[in-house]
Amino acid sequence: MLTEALTTSALLFVIGTFGVLVRRNAIIMFLCIELQLNAVNLALVAFSRYVGVEGQVFVFFVMTVAAAEAAVGLAIIISIFRHYRTVNVDNFNLLKW
Amino acid sequence: MEIPIHVLVFYLVALVVVGSACIVAFSRNIVHSAFSLLGTFGGVAALYVFLGADFVAAVQVLIYVGGILVLILFAVMLTHRISDIDITNRTVGRIPGLVAGAVFLGILVYAIAGTDWAKAREVAFEPTTAAIGNLFLGEYLLPFQIAAVVLLVALIGAITLSRKEIKE
Amino acid sequence: MDLGNVASLSLFYPEIVLAGTILVLTILDLVVANKRAMAYLGLAGCLVALGATVDLYGTEPTLLFHRMVALDNFSLFFKVVTLAALVGAIWMSIGSGEVRQVHLGEYYIVLLTCGFGMFFMASANNLLMAYLGLELVSLTSYILTGMLPHNRRSAEAALKYLIYGGVASGTMIYGMSWVFGMAGSLDYATINAAMAEGGGNQIALFMAFVFILAGFGYKMAFAPFHMWSPDVYQGAPTPFTGFLSVASNAAGVAILIRFFYPAVSTLGQEGAWAFQALPALQWTDLLVALSIITMTWGNLSALNQRNVKRLLAYSGIAHAGYIMMGLVVLNNDGLNAMLFYVVVYLIMNLGAFLVVMIVANATGREDMDAYRGLAWRGAAFPAVCMMVFLASLTGLPPMAGFIGKLLLVAAIIEGQFYVLAVVAMINTVVSLYYYWRIVKTMFLDEPAPEDGPVAATASAMPLLGALMVLTIVLGVYWAPLLDYTTGSLGFFMP
Repeated sequence: MLTEALTTSALLFVIGTFGVLVRRNAIIMFLCIELQLNAVNLALVAFSRYVGVEGQVFVFFVMTVAAAEAAVGLAIIISIFRHYRTVNVDNFNLLKW
Repeated sequence: MEIPIHVLVFYLVALVVVGSACIVAFSRNIVHSAFSLLGTFGGVAALYVFLGADFVAAVQVLIYVGGILVLILFAVMLTHRISDIDITNRTVGRIPGLVAGAVFLGILVYAIAGTDWAKAREVAFEPTTAAIGNLFLGEYLLPFQIAAVVLLVALIGAITLSRKEIKE
Repeated sequence: MDLGNVASLSLFYPEIVLAGTILVLTILDLVVANKRAMAYLGLAGCLVALGATVDLYGTEPTLLFHRMVALDNFSLFFKVVTLAALVGAIWMSIGSGEVRQVHLGEYYIVLLTCGFGMFFMASANNLLMAYLGLELVSLTSYILTGMLPHNRRSAEAALKYLIYGGVASGTMIYGMSWVFGMAGSLDYATINAAMAEGGGNQIALFMAFVFILAGFGYKMAFAPFHMWSPDVYQGAPTPFTGFLSVASNAAGVAILIRFFYPAVSTLGQEGAWAFQALPALQWTDLLVALSIITMTWGNLSALNQRNVKRLLAYSGIAHAGYIMMGLVVLNNDGLNAMLFYVVVYLIMNLGAFLVVMIVANATGREDMDAYRGLAWRGAAFPAVCMMVFLASLTGLPPMAGFIGKLLLVAAIIEGQFYVLAVVAMINTVVSLYYYWRIVKTMFLDEPAPEDGPVAATASAMPLLGALMVLTIVLGVYWAPLLDYTTGSLGFFMP
């Protein structure tokens, strides 16, 4: 079952990466990062079925960090949203690269 | 040829996971994307059960579905008026991106199939909760504490960033 | 030596001091009305931690907390660098007009936590610790970038930083999960043993290493993982930008060296490292290409920048490329040159950002026009200092930057990477143009009538003077620093 689980994880990872590359909406990009993290967790759990429980411990830390990142991300989105109530929506694109 | 029922279920769940992931990444409607994430998170939790990770599966449901997803839905609803906030960057076109993604996936799957992972064999299923708890408070005590610092600073940061009034 | 949880505490006091300072600040923030006191307390905490770190230097290499972190001269060196950057950043923050608008208590708490995370990036001996340290630094950096109130640029930069950071770290841990699958452990020593054994699938290993390199490279800002840096540098409060440019880079170097050297390579004769995990693929060619792309891209993009902070961001990318050169030769000379350059870069780049802050304090602007005739508008000393820092960043003698670049180029010429050496030389010439455009603006351009006098921030002057003196002194008398970096190459070897 290892190969199947890893292939699923690779699929998830590629979809997530692809989504980040082609989408421009900040929230969708954020969702795609969550897909990537789930791919990682799936791979770790699959490996830990074979080499010991260490991989599952790693998964908890990934989840913790993901939750922290989501909280900070939401806070940043709120602070941007605050500017939008006063500033015209059309010129969001201050910073370019 | 008879396919065992659990293998069939495994593939079905994997299909749900990948299918809803595709909706997340490619749907035009941001609310659809956010709700499809539920399918991915739930499906991944089911896969954890297949892989013998009972505790991780429970935590996946609690944290991802119960916590992070709700947070994300909050963000989506809150910013509905500006749901099209784009960040300026050079994005890859769809077709080249798709080709690159397919090639990338091919390489990954080829590598997965060709690797002798850790030269280890499958072990019998055992409940993992006690083992994980022992690791957290034993060998992994330092990372456990650092994770506490991560959460503390995320809390402080989130409050600071979203606080309405600045100081006088 | 290999210590358990309780026994490790006696060798862990720099971290304990820093963590204690953070906690005390968190509590004091609730009760103290005068937030400026927080800065001095943070400064004091950093100095005590600095003393503790220097005190530990030279201890026998030890693994702490069940092999989670390594205590060796290498990690202590980077802790000293981090603390020095923290001291500089806090000092800058005290005089910064921008920082005065933010919630000061939270600002210093998060800033110190960022440094705390860098400690673990430098000393991680386990993939999990490396990941956590890196994420702690990333999270705090997002927060600090977005902290400026009523500033869209700042909030937007934070969002971009968060999203690209999330992608980079997601990619990195995917690579880490594969390494875990192949080696069967998160511990660097076990990984090293598995890699030395060889026989792994080359493609899987290569993909895993590239993924991990992406995550580390993101922290160092080398191409193609640099897209965040110009926006973040521009959007963040200037003292934090200065801190980020030097400390994040240093921590990236530390985590990179520790993973790719002691963890997956073996030290052979006379300081040469063997990277035997990937015999079939030319790993060094990839690093050479990355280094060339990074420095060239950074320098070319810097050419037509009008905003000085943005210009310094691109120059930072170019410098990440220079520092990468030390990696390709796979020996201790190259690593030594990298460590030396990290220190030199810390001094000169922090100095340059300090001048940017002084000008922004007085004029509220960061673009090139604000620097017109700076020397004749009452800010002659900052202008002269800026010239010294820029000369050093270009790599002109007799500045410290010249010696740093010389060591790097000497290492790669000895390793017979002639193409890389030539590209580095050409890049230095290119960088001369944009650095000296600032100098020309400051000294030769006439101030426009609307340009008022620039009052130099008084509290920043001692730091500015010290950084300038160090830049010149290390350019003519570099032996002590070189001895220090050579001594810091003591790794805990598995």
